[in-house]
Amino acid sequence: MNRTLTTCPYCGTGCQFYLVADDAGRLVSVEPSTEHAVSRGQLCVKGWNAFEFVHHPDRLTQPLIRGNGRFEPAAWDEALDLVATRLVDLQKRHGPDSVAFFSSAKTTNEENYLMMKLARAAFHTNNVDHCARLCHSSMVAGLAAAFGSGAMTNSISCMEEADCIFVTGSNTTEQHPLIGTRIMRNVLERGAKLIVSDNRKIRLARFADVHLRPRNGTDVPLLNSMMNVILRERLEDKQFVASRTENYQKLRDVVAEYPPEKGAEICGVTADEIVRAARTFAEADRAMIVYSMGITQHTHGVDNVRSCANLAMLTGNLGRPGTGVNPLRGQNNVQGACDMGALPNVYSGYQKVTEAPIRAKFEEAWGVESLPAEVGLGVTTAIDAAAEGKLKGLLVMGENPMLSDPDQNHVRRALENLEFLAVIDIFPTQTSQFAHVVLPAASYAEKDGTFTSTERRVQRVRKAIDPLGGSRPDWEILCEMGRRAGYAGMHYDSPSDVMDEIGRLTPIYAGIAYDRIRRVGLQWPCPDRRHAGTPVLHVGAFKRGRGLFSPARYKPPAELPDAQYPFVLSTGRCYWHFHTGTMTRRSRLLDREVHDGYVEINPDDARALGIRDGQRVTVTTRRAEVTAVARVTDVVIQGVLFMPFHFEEGPANALTNNALDPECKIPEYKVCAARVGSAQGAAYESRDV
Amino acid sequence: MKAVTSDQFETFLASVTSAFDVRVPIALEDGTRSLGRLGEGPLVLAGGALPGKPTAVFFPQFETTLTYRPGCVQMQQAPERPLLVVGLTSEDANCLEFMDRFFNEPFHDDVYFHKRAGAVIVVVSGRCGPNGRFLKISRGNCDLELVSDGARFVVVPHTETGRHLCDRIDNGGEASLDPLQRESDALGTEFADTVNRASELMRQDKVPEAFWQELGDRCIACTGCNLVCPTCTCFDVYDWKCGKLVERQRLWDSCQLSGFAREASGFNPLSTEGSRARRRIHHKLVADPQRWGSITCFHCGRCDDVCPAGLGIRAVCQKIVERYG
Repeated sequence: MNRTLTTCPYCGTGCQFYLVADDAGRLVSVEPSTEHAVSRGQLCVKGWNAFEFVHHPDRLTQPLIRGNGRFEPAAWDEALDLVATRLVDLQKRHGPDSVAFFSSAKTTNEENYLMMKLARAAFHTNNVDHCARLCHSSMVAGLAAAFGSGAMTNSISCMEEADCIFVTGSNTTEQHPLIGTRIMRNVLERGAKLIVSDNRKIRLARFADVHLRPRNGTDVPLLNSMMNVILRERLEDKQFVASRTENYQKLRDVVAEYPPEKGAEICGVTADEIVRAARTFAEADRAMIVYSMGITQHTHGVDNVRSCANLAMLTGNLGRPGTGVNPLRGQNNVQGACDMGALPNVYSGYQKVTEAPIRAKFEEAWGVESLPAEVGLGVTTAIDAAAEGKLKGLLVMGENPMLSDPDQNHVRRALENLEFLAVIDIFPTQTSQFAHVVLPAASYAEKDGTFTSTERRVQRVRKAIDPLGGSRPDWEILCEMGRRAGYAGMHYDSPSDVMDEIGRLTPIYAGIAYDRIRRVGLQWPCPDRRHAGTPVLHVGAFKRGRGLFSPARYKPPAELPDAQYPFVLSTGRCYWHFHTGTMTRRSRLLDREVHDGYVEINPDDARALGIRDGQRVTVTTRRAEVTAVARVTDVVIQGVLFMPFHFEEGPANALTNNALDPECKIPEYKVCAARVGSAQGAAYESRDV
Repeated sequence: MKAVTSDQFETFLASVTSAFDVRVPIALEDGTRSLGRLGEGPLVLAGGALPGKPTAVFFPQFETTLTYRPGCVQMQQAPERPLLVVGLTSEDANCLEFMDRFFNEPFHDDVYFHKRAGAVIVVVSGRCGPNGRFLKISRGNCDLELVSDGARFVVVPHTETGRHLCDRIDNGGEASLDPLQRESDALGTEFADTVNRASELMRQDKVPEAFWQELGDRCIACTGCNLVCPTCTCFDVYDWKCGKLVERQRLWDSCQLSGFAREASGFNPLSTEGSRARRRIHHKLVADPQRWGSITCFHCGRCDDVCPAGLGIRAVCQKIVERYG
């Protein structure tokens, strides 16, 4: 038996467990760490099952090259040479920005760093991004502007110390279960107040003091109205506002336009509910905001984030334990992928590519002459560019835009339009079907590295078993790619060496090295090797000096219901599955639990349309029509449909709208117009609650 | 009686590794305790119940029960050497006693008994529990017992195999079991009393449906309660096909999952969160006593430690007794 301490590959909570391998080197179970600050001997259902998919027969174990319309096995040298040669050739013909690189929030910090180095140093383009574009790019932009740092301000332990928790747009017990249960137990056992703003009746709403069910996309007026009440009743933290913030008068002016009655009218809640929520939040000694995709995935996502920051600053709830603005990162290493600069505008540590001294630092360290100075394409804009024929080549590592990006038909056209597509992954995906070359990667259990959790904690990932078949760790693949593209600066003996380079070039990671995070991860900023890490940001002062109030006005979503498409369709994840299902759908018990796409519909709507629970229905938007199983439930309000996006059998993202926030280019996954009706030849499928 | 230090016992264990596949409580990299082999981590006899269920050595979370290749079916083979498992508590020994019955009546489960047959069980008890707690001395339902007097372990054989092994352990000095036995006998029985009382109340139908729904509201279905419970025996069987190779797997299942009881027709007798929350407790406290003659919670406390929502069996039984007793 062999037990290896590592970090969970699912959500961003950052639980640690031991992977248990038998004498034959096969993973046979998971044992949670009893000593880890977050896990404490506990896991969610996905964590408990995080060993099984690794050995699934579908694993990619040898490189594949498309020839004569089908994939043929190939040697690594041949496949790697082909990828490098084709990308270089495209750049020669069409310029450096004719290719793009999709990094991955599933892979390690070291691999994300190498991917952005590959793009910038070897291929001389800033066209590098990853799926944070689709989930928290609005948070990074919004909080960086307000506070100077785009990350969760506090720690997971603060969930147990808060006197009031305002959960908005986060189904915490399902998507960050060990954070959600901390919130639940703080409420039930310690008496903390709970405000939930979510028109779905999520589990936490069952324990809420106030459950607001606003219309989708009305977060800005709701938050403005809460602040209006706080100012009207003089519940603001005057000292905090005076000593730690700026642009206060502008906030007052805008918020004055949103008395609770007006907020109630826009949001579809009562003024009394808004008043109660405002008082409950403002009267608490330590109040925190917890949010996730319900805030960020809108065409006004950055405005939503700014409004959350405004509420926290107005009530002095920053820089102390039990407070803060706490965006929960949805993937194991989406925080780290951002930290590592797998983004089109920054290097690691959010150092801007547009600033010459920063570029000069990286040029010297990487041994290249001139790094590109223009901000590159992101995930969403790269797909647009491919569809328009401007982007010619794409290297995708561990992402599956065919299921995860909005408007699947648009993505399909884009991928088909590419002259060359290479995919690195552990399983065949809906995206790899379009690839010219597929490279088999080692899973999280087969390599070393680090993930950075939602609370900015940099933690070790450890190799428990050898890579399966002929698969190789992504970091090795990327280094080989760099070398074959003619760049000599990507040779490392181990991921630890990569982290050392990251530390040298990245002030917030300067104190992080493998020997320091052997047992317990460190929370950035960690500026030197003696620094103990930073559990709470902005203590005493904001990173940018004073916190910036950035008031916003209500902007409706890009596509609202009309006579033809009378429902709002909102999308997200369910508890049992993770993103495009690559891993969870290959885990026996998880896939047994939910094995088909479904759509939630309110009982009154279902009755009016003659839809029965368990019946197969069609959901139609301006972009596509898909079938799914109806779940008739009061979890959703009238007029709203909810679909998870995990299922290729009923891909929710065939339906979603590729309308982007103008500032951060995040798509509006949470609102589009749809209609629903019985599917032809519908079969009955049972389900449980 | 013979007494040994932890180091002396470790030396003895090292001397029998050619005859046994020895499993002992070890400290892993970050201090988490687990059941591993000698040398996989420092031996840590003290500390009480291991976080994982020790019965997993005989009934693991995931195992291949047979492999099929064209023209060849290979059943799981018995291990080359019998297991020698150290570190069960007296409660764990009671759990194992139940497991042996469960996997033998009425159907004899070869896959379980391949590993269980010939295995030697060593219980650790006495003054070596967590936070200085005294660990109850067993009823003798193990082969060998190490009873800590705070400094050394009194070696108590309970079976012929145990006596044979005891003879091979170097004597580190003489010690008396009597004061330790008196201390054990004087231990409180609050946990057991609470579980017994809750069981009575459930059998008297005094726990309303609303209580279980309340639990269902809190339960996030992590399934941890089942996965650490030494008497949870449910598993799922499925086949993995890889080319011409087929592997038949069995994998721990959980009654907290809606797929657990769902029938092919679509009907599910445990279709609500509340019914699933009730099922786990009801099975151990009501159904099993009818089937096996005793409650099948043996008070190891693991489900209370593992539950993120605070719904371990002790916590639930306390609530039942407080509200309906």
